[in-house]
Amino acid sequence: MITYIKITVKTGFKPGSTRYNMKIKRILIANRGEIAVRIMKTAGRLNIETVAVRTAVEPDAMYLSYADKVYDNTEETSEIPVFLDIEKLIRIAIETKSDAVHPGYGFLAENAYFAQKCTENKIVFIGPSPDSIFKMGNKTIARRIAMASNIPMAMGSEGNIGNEEEAVAIAGKIGYPVIIKAASGGGGRGMRIVRKAEEMDKMFIIASKEAEKAFNDPSVFIEKYIENPKHIEFQILGDTKGNVIHLGERECSIQRKHQKLLEEAPSSALNEKLRAEMGNIAVRIAKAVNYHSSGTVEFLLDSDKNYYFMEMNTRIQVEHTVTEIITGIDLIEQQIRIADGEALKFKQEDIKLNGWAIECRINAEDVQSGFAPDPGKIESLSLPSGANIRIDTGIREGSVIAANFDSMIAKLIVSGSSRKDAIKNCKMALDKVWIKGTKTTLPFFRMLIRHPKFLNGDFTTAFIEKDLDQFFYNSEYEEMLAAWLATKLFTEENLADDSINVDFENGKEMSPWLLNKRINQF
Amino acid sequence: MTNEKISIKKLYALSSESRRYCFSLPLKHTIRIGKRDYEVRLKTDEKFGTYILWKNRKYPVEVVRSRQNKYEILFNDISYTFTVETPFSLQRMKVLGSKRGKAEKEFVKAPMPGKIVDVLVREGSNVQRGEPLVILEAMKMQNELQSPVNGQVLKVTAKANSNVMKDDILVEIKVE
Repeated sequence: MITYIKITVKTGFKPGSTRYNMKIKRILIANRGEIAVRIMKTAGRLNIETVAVRTAVEPDAMYLSYADKVYDNTEETSEIPVFLDIEKLIRIAIETKSDAVHPGYGFLAENAYFAQKCTENKIVFIGPSPDSIFKMGNKTIARRIAMASNIPMAMGSEGNIGNEEEAVAIAGKIGYPVIIKAASGGGGRGMRIVRKAEEMDKMFIIASKEAEKAFNDPSVFIEKYIENPKHIEFQILGDTKGNVIHLGERECSIQRKHQKLLEEAPSSALNEKLRAEMGNIAVRIAKAVNYHSSGTVEFLLDSDKNYYFMEMNTRIQVEHTVTEIITGIDLIEQQIRIADGEALKFKQEDIKLNGWAIECRINAEDVQSGFAPDPGKIESLSLPSGANIRIDTGIREGSVIAANFDSMIAKLIVSGSSRKDAIKNCKMALDKVWIKGTKTTLPFFRMLIRHPKFLNGDFTTAFIEKDLDQFFYNSEYEEMLAAWLATKLFTEENLADDSINVDFENGKEMSPWLLNKRINQF
Repeated sequence: MTNEKISIKKLYALSSESRRYCFSLPLKHTIRIGKRDYEVRLKTDEKFGTYILWKNRKYPVEVVRSRQNKYEILFNDISYTFTVETPFSLQRMKVLGSKRGKAEKEFVKAPMPGKIVDVLVREGSNVQRGEPLVILEAMKMQNELQSPVNGQVLKVTAKANSNVMKDDILVEIKVE
């Protein structure tokens, strides 16, 4: 019962382009949205065919038009979304004769069992080995490995904590505040900060329950809580021959509830020496688990420039784009080549960081209501372009930001010769993004890139909570102009009879769409 | 009513933060800043939809909601709520406002469909503006719904682990 809908047919090789002799001929994209588009663009350039999966939730999604073949799964009645359904994805890969699977990020990207199942079915998993995913996915095992490799870490429990009493004993030893974390966790869930012993009982139970619900594993461990750190992560690349290099760091401190909003590369907090030191440690951790493919080693950096290993993400990250810009390396291409068995073509000394890149995650969120998601239909969309601008998106006009998936609309990636230059370009680009239909994080970024602390690089992961009194930017007169518009609408609705001299001439400038929308309200 | 309309010379747009903007009628397409008049235009085109043109810059605008004299306007991605008042209704409002005193109620509604994860207040709790009331999970995110006012919780309709629709009332607060 397989249905193919041929949407686009690639025109084969461009004259003069190199014919790549890869074993991978067709990749099943086990993902959706902008990352599916991103992967398919690179695959297309490498002349590898792609298969995308069409779902009932978004049967007209933009990513489908980038695939060579589309597997129609809209009739599927299973409760589990297809991108989380391991058996189903394996079946689709086999039926569509895909010889490789790219998991993107989220969904099954860091599921060791999925990687294992792919391998068992002779499908290349474009990512690290199941063993690396498992070891780094389990935070207590990852901690043990890091400890054995002499990696600087925040003090913490040896392994998982059995009960509240044990938690209190260990926290007493390392000193408050401490943070309880889910062993199988990530993304801020199953985490609780504990500032005094009396809170431990309650927090331990909450964290453990949350962990069980989110990750099917109630085990938690304890670490010293580092106050007001910077979140610095290193991009690493490893091949299957044992070569591992790093591509410098990304600064991801601008986050809210562990959700990153803006990332940049490099970080203004690091100098050459610290970069080399932390980069070498990132490489050491990766080597300790025989890592191959693209990966990210996360550190916390405190105000005294002490750094602590946090965790390793065994996937391509949302913010991989900023690294691509300053290194000139296509990370998806590297993932595919490594999965195909190629050795890395460059050594550590070949990696040069050029210029500066900033990524703004434009999400359908209402910054005036505490970043509450604002799902809806994108009524109109206009995105800037230019030499300094890259847009990664999976939506277009008419797309619906569904409550089922994440709220991302687009990633606006802006570059410049220096941080200052990149910020200047970013400021201009932000004013050229037009999105109608949902509220977005744009006003937040317009505020952020004007904030003196951001401009000075003087910010930590606590920035949004502690240093901001307003989450958005509006220039002088904007409220007044909005008031003028409200008044104009009022005069047209209430005073449009002969008794008063309303300017009908200008009333004609009103958009039919705006009028319709208003009429619908009544 | 007719008499009132004839004599209207001004309109006031009151922001939710009680800032007052006064416009004389008929509404001009210029706004005076200091000693200069600046042109303001409401326009529409294919590429940008509806926008306001002001000092050579285009600002996207949308009418999010309008009910009677209340307008929620999205201007350059930021939402503003105004009530438009005539000099008479403004006067009436002032009189009513002082009579009604401060016994007003505020309803906290679900801003989007989702699932209630946690309810942090009980009936009778005193709450401060900005204090979290309910945790609502939607779009993979846990969202804190905060109290818009200082006051006392009158009624909690939100239940943990229940699903809610957009605009369902979750908490009722007596405004202090």
